[in-house]
Amino acid sequence: MDISSLFGFLGENLRQFLSYTAFSHMTAGHIAMMTMGLIFLYLAIRHEFEPMLLIPIGFGILIGNIPFMSGLKIGIYEEGSVLNILYFGVVQGIYPPLIFLGIGAMTDFSALISNPKLMLVGAAAQLGIFGAYMASLLLGFMPNEAAAIGIIGGADGPTAIFLSSRLAPHLMGAVAISAYSYMALVPVLQPPVMRLLTSRKERLIRMRPPRAVSHLEKVMFPIIGLLLTCLIVPSGLPLLGMLFFGNLLKESGVTRRLAETARGPLIDIVTILIGLTVGASTQATTFLTVDSIRIFLLGAASFVVATFGGVMFVKVFNLFLKEGNKINPLIGNAGVSAVPDSARVSQVVGLQYDKTNHLLMHAMGPNVAGVIGSAVAAGILLGFLS
Amino acid sequence: MISIIQRLFDACFSALLSPVLRNGVGRRGLAALAVAMLWSSGAQGQRTTDLRLNEFMAINETNYEDDFGEHSSWIEIFNSSYGTLNIGGCYLSDDINDLKKYPIPKGDVLTSIKPRQHVIFWADNKPTHGTFHLNFKIDDTRFLALTSSDGRTIIDSITYPEQAANVSYGRSEDGTGAWGFCERTTPSTNNTLVKLEAASDRFKTYDPSGIAMTITAMSVVFLALISLFLIFKYVGKTALWIIALRGRRIIPQESPAQVTVSGEKQQPSPGAVFAAIAYALRQYELEVSELESNILTINKVAKAYSPWNSKIYTLRETPVKKG
Repeated sequence: MDISSLFGFLGENLRQFLSYTAFSHMTAGHIAMMTMGLIFLYLAIRHEFEPMLLIPIGFGILIGNIPFMSGLKIGIYEEGSVLNILYFGVVQGIYPPLIFLGIGAMTDFSALISNPKLMLVGAAAQLGIFGAYMASLLLGFMPNEAAAIGIIGGADGPTAIFLSSRLAPHLMGAVAISAYSYMALVPVLQPPVMRLLTSRKERLIRMRPPRAVSHLEKVMFPIIGLLLTCLIVPSGLPLLGMLFFGNLLKESGVTRRLAETARGPLIDIVTILIGLTVGASTQATTFLTVDSIRIFLLGAASFVVATFGGVMFVKVFNLFLKEGNKINPLIGNAGVSAVPDSARVSQVVGLQYDKTNHLLMHAMGPNVAGVIGSAVAAGILLGFLS
Repeated sequence: MISIIQRLFDACFSALLSPVLRNGVGRRGLAALAVAMLWSSGAQGQRTTDLRLNEFMAINETNYEDDFGEHSSWIEIFNSSYGTLNIGGCYLSDDINDLKKYPIPKGDVLTSIKPRQHVIFWADNKPTHGTFHLNFKIDDTRFLALTSSDGRTIIDSITYPEQAANVSYGRSEDGTGAWGFCERTTPSTNNTLVKLEAASDRFKTYDPSGIAMTITAMSVVFLALISLFLIFKYVGKTALWIIALRGRRIIPQESPAQVTVSGEKQQPSPGAVFAAIAYALRQYELEVSELESNILTINKVAKAYSPWNSKIYTLRETPVKKG
């Protein structure tokens, strides 16, 4: 064989190989997204900010932003690829209800049952969703897009993914990343708002210890909760149905194995799949847009409004409560459903003003009410706008 | 009532499936499975009942042409459900005494009707032209029926008045409306010209600021949670009352934390327990804990002699066989 033609052949092969590598397809956008993925991993590993979520999402961002020659059936948006098949659970809204099943199986609603008026705090904090909805409309988003953005204010990742996959699939990546990012940043975002809205005297309010809750009440809660909420908002069935079903598995006392599976291996598997695929769906080409930046800003605003709604509602509610029955407004922030982070924020901020005033158990009431409230709100938005 | 039903099921399954039962399968479990199967088969059977005769044209002179370029009578069937239905195996007929006149072939992929979609059958008496060409023409019987695959259950039927040429007769609204002469013929499409405006567009037009949505949705959220609040306010009281009736001891909300005064063991209040847990969590978060020195100290312990721990006294004497 002629030497020059051999070298020509090898050179051509090398050029072809290089065209297959990620380097030849790399853009500044991919590098920016990879940096974001690395930041997520850093925050999760170094500062332990929601590691269960940020590690799968952060790594998913890395996976999704390694550029490749299209047509090899490897990308998340390429039909038939492995990632595409896993992503099906996100697109079709399968994973979020399964996560709600696990949440139901691990949530103890005792704090809420013992002091049911705290449910109203969970309702008030949903103001964040609709504040962001109105702000999004002002910025020119369509109502279905605005609803998908607004749900970030519910501080509930699975709900955000569920609703955005139904109403605005093109925004789902940005909405999910924004929701999870701000859920991780709850300890940073909420305390300044809580301090701003409360007086020292209010922060020192001591609440009555919650009463013991009977087994019968715990069993009745998921059944009545499902019937009441879903009869009012049937469109919330996928989320609320699974949430209350999971809780009944836990509280019935006779399905221990099922409850343990739901709150253990099942939710772990689904969390891995949802985190990884949502992260991988943020390809630079689809994610790095002006809309994504606006969604991030609106997401932050929605958390602030939600905190405002919860705290202010408690302050107003206190005007109607007798002395001794008053609620510490520092638990108002927990009405957003970032369980249990926002309740923990109430506890930490409360202890800063009175080292013996423990608010954690009281804050868990509005916190779990927030889970129900945000699912109801998602159901309403879905019902109106789908 | 439930126990009667349960006994009935038990009786049925004892008789029918006793060999299986003997092999160790739980009777109640089997009964529950059977109920689920019955329900699911019922649900399956009901699916084709969502099909509707929706519109037809008995005399087609110059109106729509079929795929062979011929003007024939046609019948439109509408899937009123939100799931795909297969019409294959059902029957179409214009004769009340012969409901099985045209068996719609099974196995044709085209007989699957998507949710809220239509399908057209040509009543041209030319079944060799394909699945959608019937073996009869619409004559003066003034009757049409769609019958389920059992050949007896009429899914939908219409007795219609005298028809005019090139005018279709249909429902005012797809699948549900009253029958009447249509202003325009609409084979394979909606009978009423609905302006297909997306919900999102409607909200954009009528609620551009989102205030109406906010007020409505927040009201519904509050309504749902206020209902829960009210119910559990009284459920809680009732539960306490029932427990008190049963003689169980439960600490009411008003009780302050109990303190041991005279050495009598008292149950701590739940609040005190929660506070202790919260305090422990706080200490854990602040990493305030007593650290072990990691030094092991072994002290020699001198024990005073006692016949109770002496081996000599605890050994049993070997039995001796005496002659």
